Amino acid sequence: MSYFKITLIRSGIGMTKRQNGVLASLGLRKRMQTVYHRVSPDVAGKIMKVKELVAVSERERAESRAEIHKRRQPPCGFVVEA
Amino acid sequence: MFGAFRPSQPLLGGLLWKIPWRMSAPQKYRQRKRLQRIDRLVNCVDNALKKQGMTVAAIEEWKASMPTEAEMEPRDKYTIFARNERGYRKGGHKVPKWTRVSQRVNPPGF
Repeated sequence: MSYFKITLIRSGIGMTKRQNGVLASLGLRKRMQTVYHRVSPDVAGKIMKVKELVAVSERERAESRAEIHKRRQPPCGFVVEA
Repeated sequence: MFGAFRPSQPLLGGLLWKIPWRMSAPQKYRQRKRLQRIDRLVNCVDNALKKQGMTVAAIEEWKASMPTEAEMEPRDKYTIFARNERGYRKGGHKVPKWTRVSQRVNPPGF
């Protein structure tokens, strides 16, 4: 099963109602948010409607929201250098 | 005089066009990069669907009607058809939200 990894890289502000509706239906709310969707013709059609705003790549598995959150956290704590 | 009331060209009442009539070299460079990015995205989506043995009309239409960045002429990359301009062309950077819209082909006859 493969997935589309879709990231909103350009804001939908000021774009048509239709494009903003497509972004909402993909589950994209703010810039740099990433969502995963199964590879299917309807998702592909949605991506084509907002192709100027999103970055897309194909992935073997989908990350959960928690995994994405964890990956995006900066390293915490500090290191004492000798 | 400094600040908001300094004498500047627009304040002195002269006609000053703030948007240059043509794109600068870096603007053109970024425009090419945007076009290439969309070409890559369409390819990526198309390949993913093909692996599953599926197609979608939106992509087939795009591939049939739209030239890729490499196939486009400079004229079409950086300028667009404009009904009311002399020569029927104007800079692509005059289009509202031009960095977020696709504009690749001309109307028939232009």
